[in-house]
Amino acid sequence: MRTRAILGSALAAFGLLAIGWEIGAAAGAGPATTATTSSGGTTDSGSSSPPTTSGSGSGSGTASGGSSTTATTPTTTDGTYTGGVARTRFGDVQVQVTISGGQISDVTALHLTDAESRSVQISNRAAPILRQEVLDAQSTNVQMVGGATYTSDGYLSSLQSALDQAGWPS
Amino acid sequence: MNRTWVTMGTVASLTAPGSIPDAVAERVEDVCARIDERFSLYRGDSELARIASGAARLEDSGSELRQAYADALLWRERTDGAFTPHRPDGVIDLSGIVKALAMAQAGDVLDAAGIRGWMLGIGGDLVWASDVAKPILGIVDPFDRGRLLTTLKPVPGRRALATSGSAERGEHIWSRADLPRTPYLQVSVAADDIVTADVLATAIVAGGVPTCDLVCDRWDVDVLTIDRHGELTATRGMRTATGRLAV
Amino acid sequence: MSATIPQLAAPPVKRIPASLDVDRTRRLRRRRLASDLLVIAFWASGAVAASLYLASGGMADWTSLGGVITGLGILAGLIGSDFVLVMLVLAARVPALDATIGHDRAMALHRRLGKPALYLLLGHGLLLLVGYALTAQLDLVSQFVQLWELPDMPLAFLSIALFVAVVVTSLVAVRRRFPYEFWYVIHLLSYVAVLTALPHQLSVGSVLADGTVQRGYWIGLYLVAGATILVFRVLEPLIQSARHGMRVERIEWIAPDVASLHLSGRRLDRLGARGGQYFFWRFWSARTWWHAHPISLSAEPTRSRARVTVRVLGAGTGRVTSVAPGTRVTFSGPFGLFTDAARTSPRLAVVAAGIGVTPVRALLESGDLAPGEATILLRGSTDDALFLADEVRDLALRRGAHFYLSTGPRGRSGGWLSQSDRNRGVTLRSAFPDLASSDLYICGPQDWTDAVLLEAHAAGVPDDRIHVERFDW
Repeated sequence: MRTRAILGSALAAFGLLAIGWEIGAAAGAGPATTATTSSGGTTDSGSSSPPTTSGSGSGSGTASGGSSTTATTPTTTDGTYTGGVARTRFGDVQVQVTISGGQISDVTALHLTDAESRSVQISNRAAPILRQEVLDAQSTNVQMVGGATYTSDGYLSSLQSALDQAGWPS
Repeated sequence: MNRTWVTMGTVASLTAPGSIPDAVAERVEDVCARIDERFSLYRGDSELARIASGAARLEDSGSELRQAYADALLWRERTDGAFTPHRPDGVIDLSGIVKALAMAQAGDVLDAAGIRGWMLGIGGDLVWASDVAKPILGIVDPFDRGRLLTTLKPVPGRRALATSGSAERGEHIWSRADLPRTPYLQVSVAADDIVTADVLATAIVAGGVPTCDLVCDRWDVDVLTIDRHGELTATRGMRTATGRLAV
Repeated sequence: MSATIPQLAAPPVKRIPASLDVDRTRRLRRRRLASDLLVIAFWASGAVAASLYLASGGMADWTSLGGVITGLGILAGLIGSDFVLVMLVLAARVPALDATIGHDRAMALHRRLGKPALYLLLGHGLLLLVGYALTAQLDLVSQFVQLWELPDMPLAFLSIALFVAVVVTSLVAVRRRFPYEFWYVIHLLSYVAVLTALPHQLSVGSVLADGTVQRGYWIGLYLVAGATILVFRVLEPLIQSARHGMRVERIEWIAPDVASLHLSGRRLDRLGARGGQYFFWRFWSARTWWHAHPISLSAEPTRSRARVTVRVLGAGTGRVTSVAPGTRVTFSGPFGLFTDAARTSPRLAVVAAGIGVTPVRALLESGDLAPGEATILLRGSTDDALFLADEVRDLALRRGAHFYLSTGPRGRSGGWLSQSDRNRGVTLRSAFPDLASSDLYICGPQDWTDAVLLEAHAAGVPDDRIHVERFDW
């Protein structure tokens, strides 16, 4: 009776550990690069160079090469890539990158754990966004305008001045 | 109602849905003027200028100046030196903090006077009353000052939007010498109070990417940066505020 | 009036029909299989706990010293928590567990797991502190502060402190110094310790993160353990007690330090106890309500009457024997493998001393025994200590069982028999000539039982034919 218990326990334990190991190894190797869709968005690399409209694959990006604050992946194929899971004691963080025109055009931090407030902190960083994204968000009902400091001379031609003169809708 | 006046080397703009009594407006202008008198380094007779030239000693200065200096030093600690009130030649330059202090005090005056829904902008920084329901703000495009980079509906709780730039004259941003040259042209920070927003915006412009990460980790603020090539980065809260990110 | 215990082998006795044999053997085999499966399940649960970490890719971190230490810390925490849950279930008085390994063995295992579980949990805390400090390149104090500031971590530190208190107070050396009540209250805190540890398990770290299978399993484990405790420690006794409505009828002192409590109730013949089993009794008077005592029925219950016999060994038993008539009684049970059902051999050898006579008496009363099938030996240092001996003798007579008494002092050389009997050359084998084909039932005080066991093992009686009832927990 005891032998049976010992053997059975050893077998069960080894088997379960092996299964766990396999699952762990498989998960680690898996979704490192999964190209999903090709993004067809425009990449506006700043007004210093003429705006280029690039569909996927027309590879025009030159100007904004070195200044991006995120690491550019070595691949130049357009698409959306999900990076490997970075394990931290605060939870898992995974980054999704969109390549368009050979440049990173969008980066999203994917939350995997929301319950732990520290993990939210790490994902709270400033991430690159498309210029187009904010340009599209214009509204004509702006109440005040912020911007870098200007001298009183510069003020007169400023947008804020225009607002002030237009008066305040009551 | 809208009032504008020149102060602190720039222009202030005050608006409110209702009327602003003259007395209140005067008190606000006084607050700004007093701060200017004490802290401006462009006026030879300001308290700070006299300390800078050696005509007066820091130990003999008024409590308001010493408090402002102490606050600036505290911010220097918190931002790991990215924000500092010290010029390379050792002169104390509090311009990075005094405008915000003035705006905060002005805000208190307006609240105490019962002015509702007021919005105050001085030299590109904005602060508004807590009872402004849905503020809609704009941020100027540094590449074309006649255009807006974006409009912004700050998330609830935010009461200030400060924008610092490294391209404009009139504002010097001193930073730690060992930090790499900042890539940022302009940084906007939305926060729950104007001093935090202003200091952090200045700090990020001075300190660059590491400081931006540090600020995002340590403070609950929304950040929008634009670099010399026009590339933008934004925190999640800022993306929500610019209206494109569905929450 | 009892016969002298023989020194020589007794004549053979007629054998019992073979069919009973087969039945018993089958039951024994089933019980052994169930017992083995339980052992396998225990080790498997520990392996699953470790696998939770492996399956979440933890081994990928084992590339630096800090990563290895952190990984070991996580493993220690998972396995240690698993052991703690097993300990709770072992002590939950689950009937199925009792039917397989006996409640007293379950409690022995519970005690054995205490120190390893604590070491694993302490290791969990220390290894993670060191591991995190290494990977974050912080000194230990700063790392501790950082951990403390995470939500739910202060609770986790409270939990480990409670565990330390529970285990330390349960060490025999410590437990002896304090009154039983003190130990009991501290021990109850183990439930609090388990609950305060749970939040940090679910919120800190990535193995049990939101949305993972591991989290589902872990919560399921806690739910099963919690449900088991709730059902068998709270609900089942309440329901059973409501059904039978027991009260203390009267207390009868049959020796200076032994009292029989006569209980009244409804449908007591349906209590379901086999002779030799015991129940946990809770007497609802002001000073006794908080502690449930394990006591055997000392007689087969009738429809409305039952009897338990208690020996006063300390404050607790003293209070129990002084409750007022009419006191309500709740109970849980029956427990115990000291029954006829555990038998596998044709013959029955029973050795009992002191209060251990009560389950023996019940065993005799309920089992069906052929004449000559059973041999009973009662031991008592004085005649007084042999309470219920007359009842047992009468029962033995009616069942045709051999009955012997060994009275008198033990003498200097120890042992389980009286000095005079030992001098005459009486041994286990001479008292029980068919020992080789008998089940041996032993019930009595701890030290005395150990002495009998020693001789039984020396005489070659196999373990699965020895049945011991311990009342020392």
